[in-house]
Amino acid sequence: MSFHWESTIFSIIAFGLLYWLLNKYAFGPLFGIMEKRREIVLGELEAAEANRKESERLLAEQRQALEEARREAQEIIETARRTSQKQAEEIIQAAREEANRLKNEALREIQNEKNNAIAALRRQVSGLSVQIASKILERQIDEKAHEQLVEQYLKEVGKTS
Amino acid sequence: MRIGVHEFPVIEVGGFHLDLSAILAIVVSGIITFVIAKLATRNLSIRNPSKLQNFMEWVVEFVHKTIASTMPLSKVKMFVGLGMTLITYLFVSNLLGLPFGIVTEHHEEFRLFGSVVVSEETIEKHGGEVHVAWWKSPTADIMVNFGLAIIVFFLIHILGLKMNRKHYLKHYVEPYPVFLPLNLIEQIVRPVTLAVRLYANIYAGELLIATILMLNFVGIPLLAVWQGFSIFVGAVQAFLFTILTMVYISQAIVHEDH
Repeated sequence: MSFHWESTIFSIIAFGLLYWLLNKYAFGPLFGIMEKRREIVLGELEAAEANRKESERLLAEQRQALEEARREAQEIIETARRTSQKQAEEIIQAAREEANRLKNEALREIQNEKNNAIAALRRQVSGLSVQIASKILERQIDEKAHEQLVEQYLKEVGKTS
Repeated sequence: MRIGVHEFPVIEVGGFHLDLSAILAIVVSGIITFVIAKLATRNLSIRNPSKLQNFMEWVVEFVHKTIASTMPLSKVKMFVGLGMTLITYLFVSNLLGLPFGIVTEHHEEFRLFGSVVVSEETIEKHGGEVHVAWWKSPTADIMVNFGLAIIVFFLIHILGLKMNRKHYLKHYVEPYPVFLPLNLIEQIVRPVTLAVRLYANIYAGELLIATILMLNFVGIPLLAVWQGFSIFVGAVQAFLFTILTMVYISQAIVHEDH
């Protein structure tokens, strides 16, 4: 066993050189790559987090929109029901009024007809009376004949009227 | 024949004694570490990483967690590169000597690049035969480990002075000024134990492998078991060196409120 300090010096120089070479050409780039990957992973994690938040926000928005749409639909149905009810009532009301109007009109017409008929009858009766009277005046001679005549004319009147 | 212990090929160049086996081991470990790391980070992809990239990212995360267990998270980032270099380089280094060994036998003077590697004297001393080991784990050489420990030593104190000066200096006289020598010794002992622990574990492993090899065929199952265990030891020691370095740095730069 011998000791040579030259080996020590050589060892120091060699290690220094190796340290420099390794860090410049091998480990340096490797550290760089690892650091870059770390950053990428970090960035992707952040992006994923952001995406999650965004989707949560969108989901909440969708839910709200759906809720709103449902409420609106309910409102529309409610309105339609109210409108239709009102319309139905209106229709019934109108029908009832129309019926009343027709009935009243009919009544009035009947009244008119009745009045007309009575007037016409009155006119005929007076004409008849005048005729009867003139006939009676024509045949005053014979009481019998007169009676017969009255009867005959009454019959005639009865026939014509 | 002496068991397990070999001579190392040392040449003299311009007054420096270069241990060729240590230099070879360091260079090879460094190249293997760099090539693996480079292969793993060749086609970096964020979304579709290759298997090797996945593995390397797992190592990074492991180191990150290890460092984070010693200091506040805000300071961890600075030291991940250091931790990665330490743990990968040490793991490769610890395993380097396991798969095989290169040993040459010399009966006469052996020269390399005009420098005497094995002298006649050494051969005489070893009884006419000298074994030279060319291949080992760099961390099985304590002088190499001291190099790493010195780096850690300077890192601790420079970082402490730069990032946490007041409390770093104050902690030398805590809890009482009397403790100053003790604290100073502690600062010296820490890197020494780092180096020696690593050296002892790895060197012992290789020594045992060399010893088992002398059993020839009988030793094969034993060798397999021990090599498997050595991989485990190598991993544990690489991890220990890294986490202890981080603990020491953390103690120097982090001021905890009591």
